[in-house]
Amino acid sequence: MSRLKVTRIILILMSLAIFIFPLPFSGQQKPDYKYKSLAEVTSSLKKLTAKYANLCQLSSIGKSYGGLEIYLLKMAAAQNKVKPEDRQSVLVVANSEGVHLPGTEAALSLAETILNAYGVDKYWTDFLNERSIYIIPVVNPDAVSAYFSTPALERTHNGHPVDEDNDGLIDEDGPEDLNGDGLITMMRVKSPEGHWIIDPEEPRLMRPADPKKGEKGQYLLYTEGYDNDADGQINEDGPGGVEINRNFLHDFEYYNKKAGLYPASEPETQALLKFMFDHNNIAAIINFSTENNLLNMQQTGRARAGAERVRVPGRYATFLGLEPNTEYSLKEIAEAMKSSGMVGEVEIDENLVATFLGLGPAMTFDRSDQAIYEELQKEYKNGLKEFGLDYLEKNTRGVGQGSFPAFCYYQYGVPVFSFDLWQVPEPKKSEIKAGLTPDMIRSMSSEEFLGLGEEKIAGFLQEQGAPPNLNAGMVIKMVQSGQMTPARMAEMMEKKPGGAGTRPKNENPEAYLLNYSDTVLKGKGFVDWKVFNHPDLGQVEIGGFVPYLRQVPPLDQLQNSLKFHIQFSQKLMQKLPVLSVKETKAEKLGTGIYRVTVYLQNEGWLPTSLAQGRRSLTAYPIRVSLKLNEQQRLFAGRPVEMIPVLQGGESKKLEWTVQAKKGSNLKVIVWSNRINPVEVTIKLD
Amino acid sequence: MNKTIKKIICLAFILLAATSSSPVLMAQSGKDRPAPRLTFDHFYNHAELTSALKQLQTAYPELMELVSIGKSYQGRDIWAAIINNKKTGPAERKPGFYIDGNVHGNEIQGTEVALYTVYYLLTKAGKLEAVDRLLSDRVFYIVPTMNPDSRDYFLHLATDSNSPRSGLAPYDDDRDGLLDEDGPDDLDGDGSITYMRKRDPKGNYRSNPDNPMIMELCLPGERGEFIFLGSEGIDNDGDGLINEDGPGGYDMNRNFGFNWQPNYVQRGSGPYPFSWPETRAIRDFIMEHPNIIGAQTFHNNGGLILRGPGARNLGDTLPADRQVYDFIGKKGEMILPGYRYIVIYKDMYTVYGGSVDFIYSLLGIFTFSNELDFEQYVGTSRAERTRTSEAEESTARRRFSPVGNPEEIIYHQLVLMGEQLVEWKPYKHPLYGDIEIGGVKKMGRRVPASFQLPETCHRNAAFCLYHADQLPRLNLEEVKVKRLDSGLFQIDVRVGNKQVTPSISALAAQKKLHRPDMIKVKGKARIISAGILTDRFRELTEPVKVRKDYFLVENGIPGFGYVDFRLLVDGSGEIDLIYDSLKGGYLEKKIGLK
Repeated sequence: MSRLKVTRIILILMSLAIFIFPLPFSGQQKPDYKYKSLAEVTSSLKKLTAKYANLCQLSSIGKSYGGLEIYLLKMAAAQNKVKPEDRQSVLVVANSEGVHLPGTEAALSLAETILNAYGVDKYWTDFLNERSIYIIPVVNPDAVSAYFSTPALERTHNGHPVDEDNDGLIDEDGPEDLNGDGLITMMRVKSPEGHWIIDPEEPRLMRPADPKKGEKGQYLLYTEGYDNDADGQINEDGPGGVEINRNFLHDFEYYNKKAGLYPASEPETQALLKFMFDHNNIAAIINFSTENNLLNMQQTGRARAGAERVRVPGRYATFLGLEPNTEYSLKEIAEAMKSSGMVGEVEIDENLVATFLGLGPAMTFDRSDQAIYEELQKEYKNGLKEFGLDYLEKNTRGVGQGSFPAFCYYQYGVPVFSFDLWQVPEPKKSEIKAGLTPDMIRSMSSEEFLGLGEEKIAGFLQEQGAPPNLNAGMVIKMVQSGQMTPARMAEMMEKKPGGAGTRPKNENPEAYLLNYSDTVLKGKGFVDWKVFNHPDLGQVEIGGFVPYLRQVPPLDQLQNSLKFHIQFSQKLMQKLPVLSVKETKAEKLGTGIYRVTVYLQNEGWLPTSLAQGRRSLTAYPIRVSLKLNEQQRLFAGRPVEMIPVLQGGESKKLEWTVQAKKGSNLKVIVWSNRINPVEVTIKLD
Repeated sequence: MNKTIKKIICLAFILLAATSSSPVLMAQSGKDRPAPRLTFDHFYNHAELTSALKQLQTAYPELMELVSIGKSYQGRDIWAAIINNKKTGPAERKPGFYIDGNVHGNEIQGTEVALYTVYYLLTKAGKLEAVDRLLSDRVFYIVPTMNPDSRDYFLHLATDSNSPRSGLAPYDDDRDGLLDEDGPDDLDGDGSITYMRKRDPKGNYRSNPDNPMIMELCLPGERGEFIFLGSEGIDNDGDGLINEDGPGGYDMNRNFGFNWQPNYVQRGSGPYPFSWPETRAIRDFIMEHPNIIGAQTFHNNGGLILRGPGARNLGDTLPADRQVYDFIGKKGEMILPGYRYIVIYKDMYTVYGGSVDFIYSLLGIFTFSNELDFEQYVGTSRAERTRTSEAEESTARRRFSPVGNPEEIIYHQLVLMGEQLVEWKPYKHPLYGDIEIGGVKKMGRRVPASFQLPETCHRNAAFCLYHADQLPRLNLEEVKVKRLDSGLFQIDVRVGNKQVTPSISALAAQKKLHRPDMIKVKGKARIISAGILTDRFRELTEPVKVRKDYFLVENGIPGFGYVDFRLLVDGSGEIDLIYDSLKGGYLEKKIGLK
């Protein structure tokens, strides 16, 4: 009864508000940047499928929680006998966050570029003849649909109703567009509890009061809306949901409702994972999201487990003949377990030991993989500079907890390249005196950092106010040994109390956003504060940044970056590992005895598997099998030789001695899950 | 005596061999109607289990509901028996107790324990006061087997006592692109996978001179007779390896969604949490019944009552919850002689993604897992054997013979009359040539002998019933209504809990895992203000946030305790005062505002 009454009052108030202030509120609407709606994405995909019917197939990997299809475009030419799903393939994924509309544009445009090149450009013709490309342009359609609804509300979660405030009611208190401008912005209200003040330098911006300077807080900030369930909180339990890009399996954040109840709890996550595990021929992944893991290689997580020396608990140590107080490498423990003879038939390796001792998962890049990323980072940065996109280095985010790209590297074990494509440009500051800033350090490779020399590094540490025990010599050693990366270093400097960022100390951290709105967007990125009579809070002011300001630029601002990133993605695809048999030999050692030699080479730039792929057991070893017929017999060598990895360009010689009839043939099959198989027949004579 | 045992075992095997539904005996139940009489001296295959459950459901429709909560990979129904006395209230308003067994396909006796619990509750209803009390204010959700595929595989196909632990979705164990292409082979056709050895004067094993069935490691200076060649099998796929990719190959009790880790950290965890139909069925079933607050899962073996955490990284269980576990777990050691109550990661080994942690840590349900049965061999006691094995390392080593240690072999020879033993017999192996095959059969290890199974069933059922009895039993102990001068009413109410389990676990309250308890008024009444009386002598009250006709009780009612509430109510006439707990039950009382 009384709830009805409140609603009625609200309605009256709202109509009054519109009536009294008709002009300022009806003018502002989220600017239309002509991004493709879900329906338009679908029709683009259908158009591509119609135009390139022999190359494309459109299907769905599943539905979102809200019941929307998650589309998959399969690109492969049927020229080859090998079925597309058995070929080495690349997966392109976009917009797991829902706010990253530029990513969807990039994925579609990458698809179109490659399809256009088929039959025109030899490289891409061969590529589609021999390999497959999978494009998933929207992983989180529930969130994307929010961009195209009114009122506009930045939304990164799917449609799964969640009781955010744990009161037994679900989605009972979401935001409302009180001023009817089609946007959910902020409310500021004067309150004795307030800890925000209006920034004296820029009265449109708010900043926390600094009690040390004698400032007293005056305002509380809320998102725009009512206290619908009269619990004293505003907008604490809105519609939906779970953030898909926090719902993946690596370093999942339990007990955070936004991340989901458990990893892969959401249908979107499950659909993508199921697709990936059903296609374990995916050799590389290109991801478009707000994370850029080529510029910021910093990974989530705290512990560095598994790689170091560990103690064996007393109750096991004595059984294994080890000292309980000594540290051993996992390999040593594995050896001890094997030689104890007590483990029976179980095959013991370092992973098993790590499991047995409960050491947990990898949390940092494997060193050899990091070297690959650092090499690619150089190439990427040069490209960014060339295209005038180097501002992207400024505020790059690394992969977050439970994010899709983190899963791709740590668990799926393939090279993953995540691109954010665009950020609100921050004007270059001239007042930075120091030669080196954390931002500059962050984007350096370990080698570049060491190349600065001890003096410069010492200067940097001093300027950053590093504690005296962290001296240059020590830092150099840590970077050399791989214990520390420049990115990690930069983060430490920024995170330590009083850490120096690049901004002048007094500048409001949102000032550059306002500047971007004022200049580039001609003021369309900000709603000026206007008084509103709020039924729960009394007089408030509504205003602030327009939703999606940080993630979605006008399309013309994006063109240059799209062009570069599509080119660069294509470059990455050209680096895939390719196995080939360079040469075979059959030497006669005696009557009916042959030495068979096979030279195998990885002709690609990337290794046949990442170290993390091997560790996570998802990259299978290269199996070189010798297929003998009934009359042939293996004299020396194994019927199946296993090669764990071939680095880019590396070759490997394999030898067998075979007893066989003169003139007979021998087949060699080279197979692994993420490279195209090779088969050769060797004639013995 | 021996003859009887043999007979029982024979009977058990006849039943095992039958693939059709079992000849369940019909008897007259207490209320003069046909009720199935089940026996617990043998193991039920899935068809027999299905038939037994259906007959129980038909015989006790007012107490038992039988539902299929999903299908296994191969399409078998996963059954759940829901046992509730509907006359005393709907299921969702009573604390629920959950039981499952046999998640590991080879760990079969949990199913008999679960089935026995169903049987016991139904057949003792109306006859035993303790059972009637349980049926009146608790609900039981019992899943006798969550892995019916591997259960039937274990019972009917050639295997050993350790497999299939997995479910039966094909799985590429050796990462060669082929699925389940090289499992063990029953070369001698005896229905069990035993071991292979080859005579070799330079071998590192020998026959025990006193008992040639026993194969033991040679000590330095002793002359060898054999080399050990592992489990019975051949190289089916010609890759040079034997038995490297058998049926399935994953572990469903590492596939649950809490503290889950990928395969390289936790072998067998599967591609992602709840990737298997069986684990999904269990997840959905438990989550669809949020009134469940106690749970028990059954494994074998070792004689253990386990609780989480399964891994060190989870830290210690919150003290308040630990006290509940300890209280019940220690009683368990008395109900189950020889069983030890221990913590999984500390006292056993690390388990990531186990069901115990998921059920407790994400759903707020107090959960135990029992490792059913331990080796009650002959002669030496358990403690004595541990002592000697630690005393001298060389003899300790010798004990780890894969084929069976001396006490075990002697037990098989003298107690089981060799029924579960395969004497070493010659065989011509395609790769190894002349070998011998022998050892303990699949039913000779980890599962109790038929004469032990009834005891395993009853004592573990008793432990479940004890735990179920210790779920919260809330009551409105005192209600005092006082009319104030202003015309408002002050209602003082004490909500008590007679049992050890709180209505909300400390962890659930801390992590906000489910909605809190609520106090509501119904009728012509409105709560103006309310609080928790923290000091009844000085009348100190901690205010709570009131929402019209109800307020939340964030921490619930503690075990063996009470909470005093004071409400200020505007209203008149007869109203309902309600204590509504998601997991602790639903209480209602009429009070007059005069």
